[in-house]
Amino acid sequence: MSALVPPSASPGTGTQIASRQRIAHDAWNDRLFRGLLLGCALLVLAALLGAAGSTLWGGRLAFHSFGWKFLVSDRWDAVNGQFGALVPIWGTLMTSLLAMLLAVPVSFGIALFLTEVAPAWLRAPVAAAVELLAGIPSIIYGMWGLFVLAPFLAAHVDPWLNDRLGALPGIGRLFRGPPLGIGMLTAGLVLAVMVIPFISSVMREVFKTVPARLKESAYALGSTTWEVVWNIVLPYTRSAVIGGIFLGLGRALGETMAVTFVLGNAHQFSESLLMPSSSIASVIANEFTEAYTDLHRSALIALGFLLFMVTFVVLAFAKLLLLRLARKEGDV
Amino acid sequence: MTDADLQSAGHGRDAAAASKLRVRGLDFFYGATQTLRNIDMDVPERQVTAIIGPSGCGKSTLLRVFNRIYAIYPKQEARGEVLMDGENILDARYPLNRLRSKVGMVFQKPVPFPMSIYENIAYGIRHHERLAKAKMDARVEQALRQAVLWDEVKDKLKQSALSLSGGQQQRLCIARAVALKPDVLLLDEPTSALDPIATGRIEQLVEELKCDFTIVIVTHNMQQAARVSDQTAFMYMGELIEFGDTEKIFTKPDRKQTEDYITGRFG
Repeated sequence: MSALVPPSASPGTGTQIASRQRIAHDAWNDRLFRGLLLGCALLVLAALLGAAGSTLWGGRLAFHSFGWKFLVSDRWDAVNGQFGALVPIWGTLMTSLLAMLLAVPVSFGIALFLTEVAPAWLRAPVAAAVELLAGIPSIIYGMWGLFVLAPFLAAHVDPWLNDRLGALPGIGRLFRGPPLGIGMLTAGLVLAVMVIPFISSVMREVFKTVPARLKESAYALGSTTWEVVWNIVLPYTRSAVIGGIFLGLGRALGETMAVTFVLGNAHQFSESLLMPSSSIASVIANEFTEAYTDLHRSALIALGFLLFMVTFVVLAFAKLLLLRLARKEGDV
Repeated sequence: MTDADLQSAGHGRDAAAASKLRVRGLDFFYGATQTLRNIDMDVPERQVTAIIGPSGCGKSTLLRVFNRIYAIYPKQEARGEVLMDGENILDARYPLNRLRSKVGMVFQKPVPFPMSIYENIAYGIRHHERLAKAKMDARVEQALRQAVLWDEVKDKLKQSALSLSGGQQQRLCIARAVALKPDVLLLDEPTSALDPIATGRIEQLVEELKCDFTIVIVTHNMQQAARVSDQTAFMYMGELIEFGDTEKIFTKPDRKQTEDYITGRFG
């Protein structure tokens, strides 16, 4: 093979020279390609660090003025220059948590229906419909939430929650308050509808990867469809399913427009899910154009940095959870 | 089979056995395509029956009728009768749960469940019986011993079943099937994904298991069929061409097609 001719060999025939050129050429191409890929990867890292760094820098005035109190104070008073981020952080976490509580089971059901239960002719159309939901702009969801869902909740659901759950000790506190229609519950519902397409399409894809023989083995032992799904399909796809859930959670945490519409944008802290609140993204969207003082602007940028940190902490927590689960089952 | 037939077969160990499964006029359809045509066959009890034939001849399909595993797919349908102990298992009124506790199945590739070795065995048992911890432990051990796997895994029952080698995984799947104490064990090319040594151990195991179970094994390996089975069925294009004593099928088959296949002239 001419490619194996050592470089020290005397200059030979034309084909040998051509092949030596070819080797050099290939090596150069490979290096170039590797460099290009590295560049792409570094770009992401640079963007991430740049965003984190610049929000931290932009928020330095707020962090410096309030210190740790910026995180734990619920006072947000632009007129008197007092800023605390507790309410937006709380609102962000609670609405996202609520959205996950509603969206995960529903997405699970959709994905299962589409992979295990639905007749073949129905699968593709329903899957396409679910994915189309993801393409609807968030402002449309916001308007739907404000004009359709909120009045409905105010008229029918909030009073019911007040009467039935509001009286309970403990969790009752979450369901007290006037039936306004807007608030954390509404925002959670809207967010749930928005993240369902993401979570369910990830789940559907990974459920499809479970080998037919594995499922058949479980059926052959007498399992029902539900048992096959719960005991076999879900453990087999566990890490990808959790990945899909966190993809949805990441989206819920950062969603701005729809939440701004239905959350009420109140800066008073309230335990009740029926009361208006604010989220990090909605506060930034609402106030950025009116932030005339340096401190106010800095506080908003600092909020942006906090959203970064919240997302990061949540994702890190998810990774740890996965690792612990894996260790418990003896996979590692 | 009459008593006279039984006696005339005399000391022949094969023919003396009663039939566990009687297949009568079985047709099978994948949608509009018919893949089994009018199969009649008696599977003798506590013997090994091998089904051989070229790819696509319907041998796996026939096996998959015996525990109605095909029924999880909407477009597959079996018509005719398969009588187990006199009851037609194809009858929609025959409970699937009962059928699957009586008929165990092992697949081509080892497919342990994504859980511990212990749980792999206990999972199926738990579905059919409620047992106290000590009894369950005993059942799991018994099943693993029957599959000649106990000595290799007894110290790591809590480990993931995926950590076992391919051959061990397949024996785990056999243990999982025998743990339910079925009457019939269906083996669908159980060694096609294994190396020769693991294959040898599985074949040895089949030999031992036939004391307790009626075994039906599908294989594309003719030597394997000759080594492990008492009865052999040769299938071609969805039809049962010939069925009889393994020795006879491999030495002087009645049908030309069988002989051509056995001698490697096609397939």
